[in-house]
Amino acid sequence: MSRTATYHTTVRWKGDHRGHLVMGNGPEYEFSAPPDAHGCAGVFTPEDAYVAAANTCVMMMFLWAAERFKLRLLSYECRTEGTKLVELDRTELFTRLHFRPKIRVAAGGEPSPVVEARVRRALQSARKYSLVANSVKSEIVVDPEIVVEEC
Amino acid sequence: MAEFLETTIDKFIFRVAADRRYSRDGVWVQECGVDGQVRLGVGDFVQQRSGDAAFVHVKPAGTRLASGDEFAEMETIKANVGLVSPVAGEIVEVNKDLDMSPENVNLDPYGKGWVAVVQAADWGADRVGLLDPVAYLSAMRAQAEEEVGAS
Repeated sequence: MSRTATYHTTVRWKGDHRGHLVMGNGPEYEFSAPPDAHGCAGVFTPEDAYVAAANTCVMMMFLWAAERFKLRLLSYECRTEGTKLVELDRTELFTRLHFRPKIRVAAGGEPSPVVEARVRRALQSARKYSLVANSVKSEIVVDPEIVVEEC
Repeated sequence: MAEFLETTIDKFIFRVAADRRYSRDGVWVQECGVDGQVRLGVGDFVQQRSGDAAFVHVKPAGTRLASGDEFAEMETIKANVGLVSPVAGEIVEVNKDLDMSPENVNLDPYGKGWVAVVQAADWGADRVGLLDPVAYLSAMRAQAEEEVGAS
């Protein structure tokens, strides 16, 4: 039984510092570098894509974890920052991905501390099982804000 | 304090407690010191392969088991895993701490993560069908290598 899967994207140069991106799952985007790296404002960038890949993957894994941990999720929002380091030799890398998820769940008749503990475990599992978070070499920091509502 | 046998397969390290016996499914059975009473839990390979535990549902004290009956079910982030008793008898105690801390099955599978105590109907007969730690390590290693080799 094969336990690998393959995903693909295709990029094509559009002139200047612009390109066109076709995702394997369908969407298409114009992209460039960020303006501070000789790119264009207002379009998708590789930097955004890297941070977004981790942010979206952790969220999707959390949604799955929330179902498995029987959480009544009310809302999830997460701002994630990627910190870029420019090295002495001018190479660059993302050293850190800092997730700040804001999660609201319903207590559903259970004590709030019990539910909050389960949210934290679901979040740990989401980070552990996220394909993208597992695949990057950036340090990953998760600072959640969890609200358990009595409803 | 249990001593452990240890084996590394790919990037995974699996420990086998040396002070108990095992079913081929990776359920461990340890004599409690009370005549005919045995403690049941899952081995390190089973807990790693099953994933982070969200819930552990154990059949209540008083439940009568035939050898081969399911005595508990683990709901993990990835799957629902039925735990099969290799011992016939009656459940006399369940690990209530797993209600609040199911992660103990993952964090301390041979200690705080124990699942149930069974008053065996014929421990002498059931014991013969169980693997000693060395034999179980070998069987577990073959299974793990087969799975890793399939990827």
